[in-house]
Amino acid sequence: MEAFKAVFWSFFGVRKKSEYDKDAKSLTPQAVIAAGLVSALVFVLAIFGIVKLVTR
Amino acid sequence: MSAASPAHDTHHDDHAHAHPTGLKRWLFTTNHKDIGTLYLWFALAMFFTGGVMALLIRAELFQPGLQFVNPEFFNSLTTVHGLVMVFGAIMPAWVGFANWLIPMQIGAADMAFPRMNNWSFWLVVPAAILLVASFFVPGGAAASGWTLYPPLIIQQGISIDMTILAVHILGASSIMGSINIITTILNLRAPGMTLMKMPLFVWTWLITAYLLIAVMPVLAGAVTMLLTDRHFGTSFFNAAGGGDPTMFMHIFWFFGHPEVYIMILPAFGVVSAIIPAFARKPLFGYASMVYATASIAILSFIVWGHHMFTVGMPAAGNLFFMYATMLIAVPTGVKVFNWIATMWQGSMTFETPMLFSIGFICLFTIGGFSGLVLAVTPVDITIHNTYYVVAHFHYVLVSGALFSLFAGAYFWLPKFTGKMYNESLGKLHFWLSVIGFNIAFFPQHFLGLAGMPRRIPDYALQFAEWNMWSSIGAFIFGFSQLLFLYNVIECIRSSRKAADNPWEGADTLEWTHLPSPAPYHSFETAPVVK
Repeated sequence: MEAFKAVFWSFFGVRKKSEYDKDAKSLTPQAVIAAGLVSALVFVLAIFGIVKLVTR
Repeated sequence: MSAASPAHDTHHDDHAHAHPTGLKRWLFTTNHKDIGTLYLWFALAMFFTGGVMALLIRAELFQPGLQFVNPEFFNSLTTVHGLVMVFGAIMPAWVGFANWLIPMQIGAADMAFPRMNNWSFWLVVPAAILLVASFFVPGGAAASGWTLYPPLIIQQGISIDMTILAVHILGASSIMGSINIITTILNLRAPGMTLMKMPLFVWTWLITAYLLIAVMPVLAGAVTMLLTDRHFGTSFFNAAGGGDPTMFMHIFWFFGHPEVYIMILPAFGVVSAIIPAFARKPLFGYASMVYATASIAILSFIVWGHHMFTVGMPAAGNLFFMYATMLIAVPTGVKVFNWIATMWQGSMTFETPMLFSIGFICLFTIGGFSGLVLAVTPVDITIHNTYYVVAHFHYVLVSGALFSLFAGAYFWLPKFTGKMYNESLGKLHFWLSVIGFNIAFFPQHFLGLAGMPRRIPDYALQFAEWNMWSSIGAFIFGFSQLLFLYNVIECIRSSRKAADNPWEGADTLEWTHLPSPAPYHSFETAPVVK
């Protein structure tokens, strides 16, 4: 869950220093990469959903 | 970043290591600095080669009508100019910087695979020869545009096969280079140099290397299909045989869009090194920058369709790519804000590297915004294939990638050569470049909005005025690059010794731990980073 939170903020491109320090301690690269790929998929599906909604 | 012991690398000279001199040194070298130097000189040579082509294009477009070149040759010029600048100048220049800087910035003795490093470089030379030599074969050089779209590419002569082979070789070289860079960064960091302590240039190259590995095989696959369509009777892209030329566009741009980020991410890294050094403040939001770079890399894979809005996609497809493209502007915008925040209330000085970096931020942002304009599908349908697009990508690639290459070159020349470059000449180079560049490319926005198509040697009379200005600007920009060449050579030959750290605010390992010039072998004993 922490990894997903970090990835979410990375899509926005901003991370609080204190939160980042927590990330640096608790997250493993594997978890971040996995969360990143899953989030990318969710991101694509979300845009796709919006597109479906507006073209209905 | 602070680091302890040894205060200076002990190997100030390399008497103990006999290595070949003269031509053999450069042919057989496995030293990351030598290979970096080779890449940088090669890139500069290709930059001037592609630049001559650009000036021929602008000379022809100075006035309406055909003056200097015939239309076929004009098409070859636009095609090979693009290929040479992308694959021959910008990309090798970044690999050159990667070779020089990554080992020094992470405290490694050399790249992880030095022999493969040598091979990566010497592969790009025959590829460049193939590209340039294709002008002299029957039928002339590839004339399809750098995107190599079928069916044009299937109809031309042997030069296309030479171009395809060149692209294959360059792709192989890039993949090897990327494997080398990733392995070096992940395995050879000095004790204490954790991932999140790495300079941003190293981070951006790590992510760029992954992008290269992901997309270069895609391009190789696409051009192999072109080759078999041409010679082995397949019909991947030939509608007459049941194929589809649109498929090539999808495959090409699945490579092509991440390629844009391959050229620009290392630029972000360089600017993120230079702005803090000359603002004398740490980079604002380092972690955000790393995160934003990673997310830009991931998003770069899902926006390729914005190059193809007029090709014919379902409305849902067009909308998807429009939304996705607009969203990629968010992490990019965050970076621009971070650089501005780094400068905010800093003790800034404006030496040449800083000038080029600030020029980068201002002009790259203009290129980014015109990109957003183009991302709007209905707008793109009107201005697709016009000079507006040409203006947009030159703002991204010339004032983006190229300006940051100049910034990096001036910034690290003292470390590379041990000498100081001529500051006044550097500033003159910057101002002539920035003025010439804007005169050349800003009017192209007007031309595009007025409907002037790209890739044509002649045009209607109403476009004459701004084309004249654009050509004048291009010649100012082109010739002022000779100042850079002169400045580099003069710097190497001069007697102005550079200090180990001539920049007050530079704090990465190559400045704090190594003398200028950096010794042939550095960090044989890894420094300990605290």
